[in-house]
Amino acid sequence: MFTGIGQTSLGVLKALAPLVVLSVVFQLRVLKLPRSYVLNLIKGVAIASIGLILFLQGVRVGFLPAGEALGAAFTSISVKPFIIPIGFSLGFLTTWGEPAVRVLSDQVEKASAGSIRKNIILLIIALGVASFVALGMAKIIYGIPLTYIIIPGYGLAIGLMWLSDKTFLSIAFDAGGVATGPLAVTFLMAVALGVASAIEGRDPIVDGFGLIALIALAPILSVMILGLIYKSRLRRISLPKYQSRKE
Amino acid sequence: MPGAIKTKSLEVIKAILPLVLVIVAFQFTPLQMPSHTFYQFLGGVAMVIGGMILFLIGVDIGILPVGEAVGSELPKRGSLSLVIGIAFLVGFTATVAEPDVMVLTKQIDLVSQGAISDNLLIYVIAIGVGFFVSMSMLRIIRGFPMKYLLTISYAAVIVLSFFTPTEFVPVAFDSGGVTTGPMAVPIILALGLGFSSVIAGRSAISDGFGLIGLASVGPIIGVMTMGIILF
Repeated sequence: MFTGIGQTSLGVLKALAPLVVLSVVFQLRVLKLPRSYVLNLIKGVAIASIGLILFLQGVRVGFLPAGEALGAAFTSISVKPFIIPIGFSLGFLTTWGEPAVRVLSDQVEKASAGSIRKNIILLIIALGVASFVALGMAKIIYGIPLTYIIIPGYGLAIGLMWLSDKTFLSIAFDAGGVATGPLAVTFLMAVALGVASAIEGRDPIVDGFGLIALIALAPILSVMILGLIYKSRLRRISLPKYQSRKE
Repeated sequence: MPGAIKTKSLEVIKAILPLVLVIVAFQFTPLQMPSHTFYQFLGGVAMVIGGMILFLIGVDIGILPVGEAVGSELPKRGSLSLVIGIAFLVGFTATVAEPDVMVLTKQIDLVSQGAISDNLLIYVIAIGVGFFVSMSMLRIIRGFPMKYLLTISYAAVIVLSFFTPTEFVPVAFDSGGVTTGPMAVPIILALGLGFSSVIAGRSAISDGFGLIGLASVGPIIGVMTMGIILF
């Protein structure tokens, strides 16, 4: 269970070192913050490093092998398309639980002056991600190149962007970022790799990766579309309060 | 402090529990994994929960306040090149310390049997993030609309994807996704919000947000360019 923890610790220290050096240089040359900030920084970095070591070790010994084993087990199902709905439900569950997605849903409620309920936005993001994880599984099973999905997807995102207002645009692109949290990254990626390496004729690099990209794209599209729907609805009643100020 | 521990613990447990329950449920179906892997997984869950709680608390008490202080202190120092340089360094160092990035690059290194080394990949991703964080700062200062910057960047991504070797395309897009993890998001957001709140005439909502979205384009472009140059 703890094999290789020394190497993990070394990796974490190496990763945090630049941030610490940067903060120290700032403190000495530019910021000169009160002493309590410095003490808290030291405490915070120490606690965060221990946390990071535990987290990465847990991911390495627990989540990654389990995800791969599960992915490989899925491929033993004789009806391969059945993997697609399983992908859908795993995608929905990981997003529903992601704390950052909840924070973002609150922000959307505020940005829309309460006209978009946070539960609706949470549901929309989770459904969007679930559909794209399902699509990701289909991609692996049928060997569809990632570019066939991602390029029309981002093309559509660019198109929608010019129709959306400024606040929604920023929120939508941030939503793409928050949906790819640690759970999605560690677990769903391992499942995808497991499926890709167990299906004959699939290259784990080309077919196994790319799922996180799809998860990041899903909320961008769904949040912008939701914003447009609300915008057209509100326009008919009165001037929407959340419309961006004129520049 | 004890209050913070309780909130963070609840948050982390609520996030991880639904998925864990489903995996445990799978164990009672024909989709089960070997029991050794399953017990390792349960141990891993405990470590991940404990580790995540400690990590989030550490970021909250130590790293975030400094990020905010840097964000609101920067504009007062005037010099544009200093602001851009420091924004780059903050984006770079936060990405190197990002757990999601470590997990992805390690997996890519393993699966590619060292052909795409994790050390190189981490630095390329971090340079991409640093570059786009400083671009976003420039955008906030100049009041340049977000959609122009996003359109240009994503158009560049689409064009590059035709020239990049096939195996780099999924890796590049995934790299864009993982940069926005539990370490980089709070630091970059704090920097952007602190920054736009002290610049006159900028709204914290529409100018401060969007930074994360832009930050994830950097690694996509960086990794694709790396693929074109190296292979």
